[in-house]
Amino acid sequence: MGYHQASYDEPLIKDIHSGTDYKVPAVQDKIEDLIPASLLRKKIDLPDVAEFDVVRHYTRLSQMNFSVDIGTYPLGSCTMKFNPKFADRISQIDGFSETHPLQDQGSIQGSLKIMYELQEYLKDISDMDAITLQPLAGAQGEFVGILIVRKYLEDIGEIEKRREIIIPDSAHGTNPASAAMAGFDVVEVPSDSNGMVDLDALEAALSERTAAFMITNPNTLGIFDRNIVKISEMVHRSGALLYYDGANFNAIVGITSPGIMGFDIVHYNLHKTFATPHGGGGPGSGPVAVKAYLKDYLPVPVVSLENGRYYLDYSASKTIGKVASYYGAFNMLLRAWAFIRFHGSDGLLNNTQRAVLNANYLSRRLSTSFSIPFNPLKKHELVLSTEKTGKRALDIGKYIIDQGVHAPTVYFPLIVHEDMMIEPTESASKDDLDRYARIMEDALKEDVEQLKRRPLNLASRRIDEVKAARDLKLKWD
Amino acid sequence: MSDERSFMLQAMNMKSMDELFSDVPASMRKKGLRVPPGISEYELMEEAKNIAAMNRYEGYRKFLGCGIYDRIIPSSVDSIISRSEFLTSYTPYQPEMSQGMLQSLFEYQSLMSDLMGMDVTNASMYDGYSALAEAVRMAYRINGKTEVLIPETLYRGKLRVIESYTRGLGLKLISYGYEKETGFADLDDLSKKVGENVSSVICENPNGFGILDENVPSLREVVGKSMIISYVDPVSLGVIRPPGDYDSDIAVAEGQSLGVHKNLGGPLLGIMSFKREHIRKSPGRIIGESVDSDGKKAYVMTLQTREQHIRREKAMSNICSNQALMAVAASTYLSILGKKGLRNVALKTASNMKKLIETFRHVEGYNPDLFSGKHFSDLPVKAPVDNEKLRKSLLEKNIQGAIPFDSILPNLSDLFRNTSFFSVTEKHNDDDFSALKSALEVV
Repeated sequence: MGYHQASYDEPLIKDIHSGTDYKVPAVQDKIEDLIPASLLRKKIDLPDVAEFDVVRHYTRLSQMNFSVDIGTYPLGSCTMKFNPKFADRISQIDGFSETHPLQDQGSIQGSLKIMYELQEYLKDISDMDAITLQPLAGAQGEFVGILIVRKYLEDIGEIEKRREIIIPDSAHGTNPASAAMAGFDVVEVPSDSNGMVDLDALEAALSERTAAFMITNPNTLGIFDRNIVKISEMVHRSGALLYYDGANFNAIVGITSPGIMGFDIVHYNLHKTFATPHGGGGPGSGPVAVKAYLKDYLPVPVVSLENGRYYLDYSASKTIGKVASYYGAFNMLLRAWAFIRFHGSDGLLNNTQRAVLNANYLSRRLSTSFSIPFNPLKKHELVLSTEKTGKRALDIGKYIIDQGVHAPTVYFPLIVHEDMMIEPTESASKDDLDRYARIMEDALKEDVEQLKRRPLNLASRRIDEVKAARDLKLKWD
Repeated sequence: MSDERSFMLQAMNMKSMDELFSDVPASMRKKGLRVPPGISEYELMEEAKNIAAMNRYEGYRKFLGCGIYDRIIPSSVDSIISRSEFLTSYTPYQPEMSQGMLQSLFEYQSLMSDLMGMDVTNASMYDGYSALAEAVRMAYRINGKTEVLIPETLYRGKLRVIESYTRGLGLKLISYGYEKETGFADLDDLSKKVGENVSSVICENPNGFGILDENVPSLREVVGKSMIISYVDPVSLGVIRPPGDYDSDIAVAEGQSLGVHKNLGGPLLGIMSFKREHIRKSPGRIIGESVDSDGKKAYVMTLQTREQHIRREKAMSNICSNQALMAVAASTYLSILGKKGLRNVALKTASNMKKLIETFRHVEGYNPDLFSGKHFSDLPVKAPVDNEKLRKSLLEKNIQGAIPFDSILPNLSDLFRNTSFFSVTEKHNDDDFSALKSALEVV
């Protein structure tokens, strides 16, 4: 399959001058009767473009943007699965989209029911006891989780001494960033030769200064850490809490759960596991669930049900407060509800199996050409190294995107050199995987110089990132 | 099992799917999900429609606002953000195949910087409240001082988000008052509280009473070197002086008004702009212009060394996902409306505010004139009955509005008993106001 992305020399919207033609209701009043003279604005530029030109402009731009609907998108740790169209349609039902967050609760019973059911589904999937849907992204969920740790330690009088949060060296960057944001010091522990947490190093790191251990399982190497129950015992014995980064949840839905593994706090990424579209970078949605003893710490409100009536429940007595304007990214919650309702218990398990099957199949296919460290049995993703091929991961990535498929995540996790992190998800056929493997092997046939000239088939050739950082041109002139 | 699955398992010398999970000990296996079994698309659509019908949506006249507004959204906005090339893409980690989103976000940064009158705008924050809280953290990173001056009229919701976001920093949040006559920020009170240790001063325009605050432009004379953080309504900026005009260091806003549906309050759009000198302390993603190897203009994410995936615990923020799609919606909205359109929407809103005030003046017992300052979208009104009675009575007449004052500003509720907020946008017409009047007359 040959591939050539659209490539327009698309001007900036400000350089299109067809003249604003949008109609808005007329105003009869004199401006001085409406706006205080001292606050009147003197100058504003904004574009002067006809609506048809605005639509053409953004349509052309969209054609220079690769997406899940165009092709395979195995970006590691991002779970770029197919975003079902029924969820788009449901999300556009006026009865849902036109509700105001402060309107009477009697008039939003449908929306509250969706949230309540989603709360129940997510608790079941994770085997946790209580949940908030408020966090607006995975990273905000992490921050909420760590604020809960903080408040809990305050209440039991240990916040002064428990200042450290331990994080594996393979963790997502958001973990240490969220921990630091909530005022904790970060202590990193190394992985062992199997890509799992080094138990001796963990034992040495744990102390009465430890507030929590943040970990994702399976980890960013795609490996399930079978010591997790032992880890949970070690962490809890030291008096610390165990935090589950749900970025890799797609590998375990219906198989096991953070609740079973012994976690105290969990965040989900609905835009990953439950297929809400990621919109070119957002919106996301990052609900947080906890064990019963932390229920009262959740942000307010949550949705509760009493006598057949759903209501916004502000009763959490030790709540950490609020992190968002209202109740969460409702439109994303609705889509996640639709995804879970459609697939159901059977479909969710089926998806998990297929996602793991795909990752393992691709891993075996690629293991003849690339070095794939650690345990050969993968979960949702695999990490390979291009080091021994003499080619850089960055350059191979640019060859891959030239073929109409998205590149893997490159140079992450940080503990493998020249690595590529590949997560095919369940939305890839055997043919897709075979083709992807062939593309990666073909990349090795090009010499280093040829690879450096790529990409050739996209809207842009290789972009000078150093210049962007040096010149810092962040808006038009 | 499908042939394809069997074939793939065979290729790996595996007999069953279960072998793929042999690394998950039996003791840790889940016994099954209680989530109900899957259903067909048709059944799902029917169920969703039935649940949506439990929301009472049609037939109401709405006067709801206080941060989320029912504004006209050009059909083209929804059409553009429904394009799956935008909708189903991820953060543009491979810039060469993501120029569409990158240029759109570069345009968003440009449009917002123009609208806010500021040097730089980042590629979006989650929502207005968290953007405000991040601005407080950013000011602290810049000057290391520990006091934050906050207007008494700041919505409690915003204050609670600031409290959550600053919990790890040990900042002291100190409130300053408002002028009882005008409703503007009390600059005398503020000047008494400004001192060596003040990191930032938050101001709002319009403020928590919905008043266009004529004192805000003089803030710099009072606050000296402290950071000014301005929270504004982006639609009002079609006619109102922007934050850059009064030397704001950081300007933030809720961008929902710019083409995003209400959706029970999410997803929204956090807008954050700042002075160029502060850029290295700023949170979130940012897009820069560069060139490709042919010398053609191209866009990339830049200044990533501030971010969590590079800097980890030393990052300026933990933001990974943002609100890129909503940023595209706002850009499309502003491009379609242009300066004439946005100005008109703002003036129509203010004009409807005049009508709203008139409506209340003509019903006995209601006082919409609690302050002499002019209102923009939101108006607190003192009623002759208690808030709950007013709210319920209006609902019976198919009018949604009357957001209780004490739910928005509980710290001032003793001074504003029997007071509720009513809000307008450019959508309201004379029929709405006469329906409101009739309903009020029989409360």
